[in-house]
Amino acid sequence: MIDFTQPTPVLLSEERQITETRRELVLNMGPQHPSTHGVLRVRLTLEGETVVACDPVIGYLHRGVEKLGESHRYAQFVPWTDRTDYVAAPSNNLGYVLAVEKLCGIEAPERAQYWRMIMAELARIASHLVWLGTHALDIGALSVSLYTFRDRELILDIFEKFCGARLTTNMMEIGGFSRKIPPELPEMVRDFCRYFPKAIREYEDLLTENPIWLARTKGVGIVEPEVAINYSLTGACLRGSGVNYDVRKAMPYLLYDRIDFEVPLGTHGDVYDRYLVRVEEMRQSIRIIEQCLDQVPTDGPLMAYESNYVIPPHETVMTTAEDMQRHFIWVIKGFSPPKGEVYQAIEHSKGELGYYIVSDGSPIPYRLRIRSPDFVNLQSLPYMAQGAMLADVVALIGTIDIVLGSVDR
Amino acid sequence: MSDEQQQAPVPALRPREPWQTGYWGPTNPDEHPAVIAVRARFPEAFEEAVNFRDEMTIRVKREALREVVAFLRDHPELRYNHLTDLTAVDMLNLRDEPRFDVVVQLYSIPRRQRLRVKCGVNDGETVPSLVPLFAGANWLERECYDMFGIVFEGHPDLRRILLPDDWDEGHPLRKDYPLRGYRDYVQPGFERPAPRVRGSLPRPRP
Repeated sequence: MIDFTQPTPVLLSEERQITETRRELVLNMGPQHPSTHGVLRVRLTLEGETVVACDPVIGYLHRGVEKLGESHRYAQFVPWTDRTDYVAAPSNNLGYVLAVEKLCGIEAPERAQYWRMIMAELARIASHLVWLGTHALDIGALSVSLYTFRDRELILDIFEKFCGARLTTNMMEIGGFSRKIPPELPEMVRDFCRYFPKAIREYEDLLTENPIWLARTKGVGIVEPEVAINYSLTGACLRGSGVNYDVRKAMPYLLYDRIDFEVPLGTHGDVYDRYLVRVEEMRQSIRIIEQCLDQVPTDGPLMAYESNYVIPPHETVMTTAEDMQRHFIWVIKGFSPPKGEVYQAIEHSKGELGYYIVSDGSPIPYRLRIRSPDFVNLQSLPYMAQGAMLADVVALIGTIDIVLGSVDR
Repeated sequence: MSDEQQQAPVPALRPREPWQTGYWGPTNPDEHPAVIAVRARFPEAFEEAVNFRDEMTIRVKREALREVVAFLRDHPELRYNHLTDLTAVDMLNLRDEPRFDVVVQLYSIPRRQRLRVKCGVNDGETVPSLVPLFAGANWLERECYDMFGIVFEGHPDLRRILLPDDWDEGHPLRKDYPLRGYRDYVQPGFERPAPRVRGSLPRPRP
């Protein structure tokens, strides 16, 4: 037992001391360092300015989300998914909701699936904008973050118009959307699609051929394709090395098999290629959103009408006795999916986000596992940082694109 | 938006089952190539193959987990070369023996197919580590040890990852671990505030 009333003893380890034979220095970067995102702490062993060993220490934001998932009913857990990766909350909602729908064997209506794709792609752009701004800020280009956060506001305005929240959206529900699509929302999204390609050109003008940016990113943090697969990397970290794996193409969920888009691939696997891949992904997301807006039906149901698993629509709850009873049961007792286990993966902005749910037939998940992409991607940091310069570590942390809420869960 | 794009015909909805959103191979275990290959190569270690919602799960004995995963990775026709996830499930409330399931999600990038490999393990037994096969298993196994207390034999650096190094309260994702932990936490320097009684605040005078 730890006595919390006593002060913590300060231990000076042998590694801290520099002797005649040992010239290594152990340096703690974080957890409060401004250029390690969130509360990441990296324990670096330095020989001069070269990194000899690197040990990321995580867990400062661990809230036990998986344990909480085992004590909440299925529909109650959706807000918790917002809090894992909070810069792309709709994508997290989507992964969880799809997993539960797969477990129950239901499917959202076509119109809801199109709007889910639009919201997920907007979330991808918003996440990439946060990444680009902070990554450039870490490396030293301050002004890019002013541009990216300006444009991210437009996406947050769209989220706010749709569901009233800007960051932790909680917008998707099991079976579709229970909110109506505001009539002015499609035009807002179209306006954004018309505006945003110009904004991407602005970022590229600032960075792509900037000699300082090239010097800081080209040839830094090279990951070979076979190493990237061996480290279980996904997302832009894997595609920057030239491995063609995108869940949207490999195992299409929602209606991605109807959409025409391309998967950008890098060639060298360095920080610069991953930057190019993510910038191109934003352009492809705009293509996807435009096609979705063209194909989405303007009228039709947004919620599946499934007697057991889906909350009944508000109008019939107020007018019919059966739906009022169903609504009562759904809220008070929750619904009970069949016994079994499912794994559902989606292409999150950071990689493959997987939800693995084991159901024992009760209204509460028996086991809820979140395979968060950046937790798995972050373990390639020691490989990338081996032999790199101290200043490059900041670029390497940025290129993995971590959000500590998702890493620590 | 140009006129051509607006008038583009919408492709027809291809028929599919509602939950068929990923590809896991044939739904019949007797037709699944990975199940056939593993059953033929490891007749003693193979236990069962289960299909639920088109997802194929192979259950093997824990001693053979590393050999089975290596076989699936190196087989020229299977090539499950991407370790997507490694986690565990505490089966305390569902069955007697064995207590945990270690769940490995594999994916084949060239064949675009998933597979799930499971093995049962009791408290106190060890599972062969997959780090010699996949470097990506390192943190996943550390998390598994941190949350469940499952020891992976052959892991180079098995220590806690999400919880502090000096955490002495056990492993929180076990089913017998209470949701709020074992200990009554008191913040140092602060006394526990008195519980607020509803309506006890004085009303402001008009």
